[in-house]
Amino acid sequence: MQAPVTGLADELSERLVHSGFGPFYGTPCGILAPLFTAIDHRTGLRPVVREDNAVGLAAGAALAGRAPVVLMQNSGLGQSVNVLASLIVPYDLAILLIVSLRGIQPDRTQENVVMGRITEPLLGGLGIETATLDTADDAAARAAWAHEVVVRQSRPAALLVTPAAFGWRP
Amino acid sequence: MAAVNKSSAIRAVIEATSEEPIVFTTGYACRIAQDVLDRPNHFYMTGSMGLASSIAIGIAEQTGRPTVVVDGDGSLLMNPAGLVTAGALASLPLVHILLDDGHYTSTGGQHVPSWGTDFALLARSCGYARVKRIERAGDLTATVRTMAATCAAPTFLHCVLTGEDQPVPPRVDGDLAAHAARFGAAVRESLPC
Repeated sequence: MQAPVTGLADELSERLVHSGFGPFYGTPCGILAPLFTAIDHRTGLRPVVREDNAVGLAAGAALAGRAPVVLMQNSGLGQSVNVLASLIVPYDLAILLIVSLRGIQPDRTQENVVMGRITEPLLGGLGIETATLDTADDAAARAAWAHEVVVRQSRPAALLVTPAAFGWRP
Repeated sequence: MAAVNKSSAIRAVIEATSEEPIVFTTGYACRIAQDVLDRPNHFYMTGSMGLASSIAIGIAEQTGRPTVVVDGDGSLLMNPAGLVTAGALASLPLVHILLDDGHYTSTGGQHVPSWGTDFALLARSCGYARVKRIERAGDLTATVRTMAATCAAPTFLHCVLTGEDQPVPPRVDGDLAAHAARFGAAVRESLPC
């Protein structure tokens, strides 16, 4: 049981690095912890104290010609609404967000339920394309999607990660 | 010598630099810079207040080249986490210029509640290797010129503005995506192969 879910994080990190993504920035999240570890072991991940600062760093990296990735909890998406709305989208900066879905099943923590409900509509309203990664999903297919949108079409994208995807438990 | 105002400070920064990437914070800084001299190595951050230094950190880290950010006191205090982020990177070639006029000038001149804040101490305690206070435009030109050529660690220049400013030039116009594309091309072209 434990091995395959750890494997999903490992495989996603390998596919993202292999398809040219980097540098990787992140503000920690329990759901994404296995992915933080996997990316850090593979290529390095810079921890950033606030999610919108991480998005700012990624904007600079994108301007320097890279294909940056920012890992965050969806609560940090709330912190990042303005930087996405006033910098990433209007300046057309191609970055990949990997956003956990606190507040959706099996996470019933009341403080996360509202953000869980609005995460996808919020990104939709921002005009940022999304895809979701769950336990049964194929990391290779999601990495290929991210590569198509961010690297080939030069648009921002957000990969949403369910609580169960990497084995998180309430 | 006359006291520095925002326009003379920005003119000094532009005069002291050539192809180095420069990120200008939101508000009047962008508008003045565009009016003084609109170069492809200028990034006008028209929104995302507080994040000018974060963008510059990303550029400086990825290019390894001295990168300049022209910040404001209101902007810096909206997101001081940028100082923490830069200060943690000991070899980051960042020249962080704070133009401190004590006011939110572009929103009506309200006071910035910074009476208790020592900006130099704040930068130093976050890990900036070099911190300098500047009160004259000539000093700013000379310091930025030296730093733009030699900077190899986070550097903080606290420029205290006391002079009356000139009428503000028009807003940054044109398509922001095209602006980012122009700046990105300039940054990448200036990199060694």
